[in-house]
Amino acid sequence: MVRVKYILIAILVVIFGIWAAFTLFQSEEKKVKKQFHLLSKWASKETGENTFVMAQKVKNIGKLFAEHCELKANVISFTGRYTAEEISSYAARARLSFSNLSLQFYDFNVAFPEEGLAKVTLTAKLTGRTTTGEGVDETHELECALKKIENKWFFSYMEVVEVLKK
Amino acid sequence: MRDGNKKIHQFFFPSLTSKFLIRASLVALFAYLFFGHLCTPILIKGQSMEPTYRNGSINFCWKLRYIFSEPKKYDVVAVRFAGNKVMLLKRVIAVEGEHVEFRNGKLFVDGKEMDEPYVHYPCNWNLPPRQVEKDCVYVVGDNRNMPIENHHFGQAPTKRIIGGPLW
Repeated sequence: MVRVKYILIAILVVIFGIWAAFTLFQSEEKKVKKQFHLLSKWASKETGENTFVMAQKVKNIGKLFAEHCELKANVISFTGRYTAEEISSYAARARLSFSNLSLQFYDFNVAFPEEGLAKVTLTAKLTGRTTTGEGVDETHELECALKKIENKWFFSYMEVVEVLKK
Repeated sequence: MRDGNKKIHQFFFPSLTSKFLIRASLVALFAYLFFGHLCTPILIKGQSMEPTYRNGSINFCWKLRYIFSEPKKYDVVAVRFAGNKVMLLKRVIAVEGEHVEFRNGKLFVDGKEMDEPYVHYPCNWNLPPRQVEKDCVYVVGDNRNMPIENHHFGQAPTKRIIGGPLW
């Protein structure tokens, strides 16, 4: 009986150890994915969002991008090299045209081709309703690059991949 | 009667014997491989394939469909994005080398008007002819009752086709 008790305690200690290792020591891949989760959180909008929350979210979006970020999105005619501030203001304008908005990311493929650089391919799904009442449901594949600056990852490149070519 | 009750009890609350654990593990492994990789459950969202596939209906994506063959004309296929969690369900209307064109909502392949019994809603699309590139197929939804700009369709590489719906 005593032996069983010790085995159970040992199992619990091992489980706690594994949990602690996963939670406390984040891998670089987890840190990269976290930036996407933050982008999803701050780009999304709930109906009736107040001005203060909106301003805070837009400010936070800008903090996720490197000083200069290259964007290639032919679907929305948004291609070029932009500063984090320009991206923030574009995000603010885009969010204003929606009454509610949800941005979700799926199927992450993260690679680290060189030190301080992460390349990510993923699927982005944007759903919501415009202020004019029109429903939006867009899905695109994205190719992104993130740069590590002072131990933090920042978006430096984003391209919308054309899956179906008209 | 007592024997019957015992059997029912044994069915719902089986004794944790080694044989039972092996059997349960094998069933779990088979279910994981089958439903996780070969025949994945899918929830259809959107109206682009109506009325063939309704918004909100459930189906399975059979991933072994194109292991030994290429997608054929009129097949309904699943086109992947970056992975397998989100995919497009579309119908193949032309294969590599063929010319696709829409004239007043009618589909023309290599200049010949095609019969499309699966299209039930009115359509007024116009699309100049274009040739389907090598190792690609041209896919469109069955519901074309919306402006052409709002419909997600076009040429997809066959390597992006991961299977088709089970029914």
